Amino acid sequence: MSGGIALKKESFDILKKELMYALFLFLIALVIFKIAFFNENLVVLLRNVLSLFWLFVIPGYFIMLYWQEKLDFIERFFAGIILSAAVIGISSYYFGLIGLNIKYHAVFMPLLMIAVGITLNLMKRY
Amino acid sequence: MVKIKLDLEKAALIVFFAVFLFIGPGALFDHRIKHDFPYAYFSSDSFQHQTRAEAIKDAGNFRYEAPYIIKGFKDAVGIYPPAIYHLAAVLSYSAGIEVYDSIYFLVVFFAIIASCIMYLIIRNFNKTVALLSLPMSLLILSSPPATGFLWGHWPSVLSQSFLIFFFWSIIRIDLDKSWIIIAVAMSAVFLTHTSEAIFAILFLAMFFGAKLIGKSLSKQDIRGIALSFGAFFALSFYYIVIFLNTWAKAQPFSFAVEPVWNGNPGFYIAGFGLLLIPIVFGLIFSLPKLKEAHVSVILAFAMLIAGLLNYIGFGLRSFQIRFFWPIYLSVLFGFGVYIIGKPIIKKWNFAYSSFVFIVLIAAFSGFMKLPVLKQTDVQAIPYIPQVSIAANSGIMDPFHWEALNWLADNSEDNATMYFFYGDIYSQDALLRNAKRVHYQVDPGDFINSIQERKIKKVYITELPGDTGGTISHRVSFFKFEDYAGTVPVEFHFGPKDICGFGYYVFDKVSRQEALAQYNLLIAQELLKKEYINPVFENQVVAILRNNNVGGDCIEERIF
Repeated sequence: MSGGIALKKESFDILKKELMYALFLFLIALVIFKIAFFNENLVVLLRNVLSLFWLFVIPGYFIMLYWQEKLDFIERFFAGIILSAAVIGISSYYFGLIGLNIKYHAVFMPLLMIAVGITLNLMKRY
Repeated sequence: MVKIKLDLEKAALIVFFAVFLFIGPGALFDHRIKHDFPYAYFSSDSFQHQTRAEAIKDAGNFRYEAPYIIKGFKDAVGIYPPAIYHLAAVLSYSAGIEVYDSIYFLVVFFAIIASCIMYLIIRNFNKTVALLSLPMSLLILSSPPATGFLWGHWPSVLSQSFLIFFFWSIIRIDLDKSWIIIAVAMSAVFLTHTSEAIFAILFLAMFFGAKLIGKSLSKQDIRGIALSFGAFFALSFYYIVIFLNTWAKAQPFSFAVEPVWNGNPGFYIAGFGLLLIPIVFGLIFSLPKLKEAHVSVILAFAMLIAGLLNYIGFGLRSFQIRFFWPIYLSVLFGFGVYIIGKPIIKKWNFAYSSFVFIVLIAAFSGFMKLPVLKQTDVQAIPYIPQVSIAANSGIMDPFHWEALNWLADNSEDNATMYFFYGDIYSQDALLRNAKRVHYQVDPGDFINSIQERKIKKVYITELPGDTGGTISHRVSFFKFEDYAGTVPVEFHFGPKDICGFGYYVFDKVSRQEALAQYNLLIAQELLKKEYINPVFENQVVAILRNNNVGGDCIEERIF
């Protein structure tokens, strides 16, 4: 029981630390986007970078958390981004076919992936 | 408080990402995310993908192809690999940008991410080689590989980004439940651009062949890949059925030797110029490593071979693989640089790697100018390729875009429209932005009519539309019928009475003035009928509406 609590705390600490990394990377990404797209206004850039994080980075991070002991943060970060894109590309097609209009996918699918990632991780640990 | 340590490897990746973003999408899109019209579109194919993504966004799904894309046929099944279009629509909603911006952005963005994934793959082989290899990825933006972006080979380019992710997943085949990642990666490749899946199989065959020879093939590997294939089939089954009944029947494989990519600026191995020296070194010295079955080396060999399969019938598909040769072959380059540099620098450390990394980035991105050397538009250093894309609005302009949007927003759903001559209309997929079934005059007949000084009622006319694969109706889950085969040839191309159309689109300006003047002459002749009225006009385009479709709309005469 106490071992489980210790593991839970350890997981939470890792999650907290890595989400701070993600926040730091978000700020760096915003700066890089401002440099690369210097003709664009900040609100558009902010929404764009937020979207990239919401659609790809965060869901990818939570799914890749399952392999946290085996892969370092940077590997999970990049692999997670493209894994999210793959999942959205595939599942958006099927969700559309079964009648869920694509306009809801940008909200629904990242939430679903985050939930799946957390569930997988919890199932693995406990 | 979480402390973030300065990590030189991560710093190098951030620098690489920033440079790539700046000289890639930054330069290409005029350093803006949002544009007023499709920006930097240089081919009909770009519009083909943009309009399909737009149609899916409008419909909410990709059950059917939009009729205005496929010559007016209704209820024709959506046969194109769907992933790129769905991603574009989802990103468009999320980022609040138009589909024409989101689809282009994501193709370039994921190419950058794929370069970083490639770094991770090579890092697993050797960290120094990985850092030395990374800058070569920038050369996907050099000429001619940049054609992949500029000429709209977007599904292939995005699929190859997923293909690199697939290679990464194979490196991690030992992970618990790795089969899930492998299956998702493989399915994403297949559902984005099918032919890349064949090259993934080629890689897998070489990988397992090398493992078998090296006696390192385990039962766990076989079990993992078998599970992955099972999950891939389950994930992709619905689209596999569509693919086998449409594309596979319409464009079956046939043997052909095609050394040159006709009509396209193909990339050939000599295009690497002096970089071939380290690449050849890397290739020779990595041959003994093949037995160790390292993914980075095997993928380089596999994709080199894949890019040369144009000699046995893969034609276009092999030439498309070459767009990413600068990424696939980067391990050979990095390894070659290391092999060449090692005898000179005895104790190679991260500082040397970083120095070479920065020099290579500067050289490949074109920042390094050596005035003593003869320079061209595409090479600041002779025989060293460099990034060569720059902001250019491309084919579309605000005036045509305004006219096309007017038609989409204001014409009736079942309206048909007729485009007279326009300089940009040869890239006919852009006309699909009118979102209605559209026809266009044949430029040959149009020019003949000018030479004969005739105003006619019947012109040779093309019904443009997507005929790449087939236009199919799904009768049952496994049964498809070809629509396009049920209509006569004249349906697609032949003489048409212009009075049978509801809207006429005229370009008022042209690079050849006589063509625009003839357009205006026809417009004036049509306007003599009281039931034909001007409904839209800007500096470049005029649109007339015919309120008596099928009437006697124009007097044929000699002018």
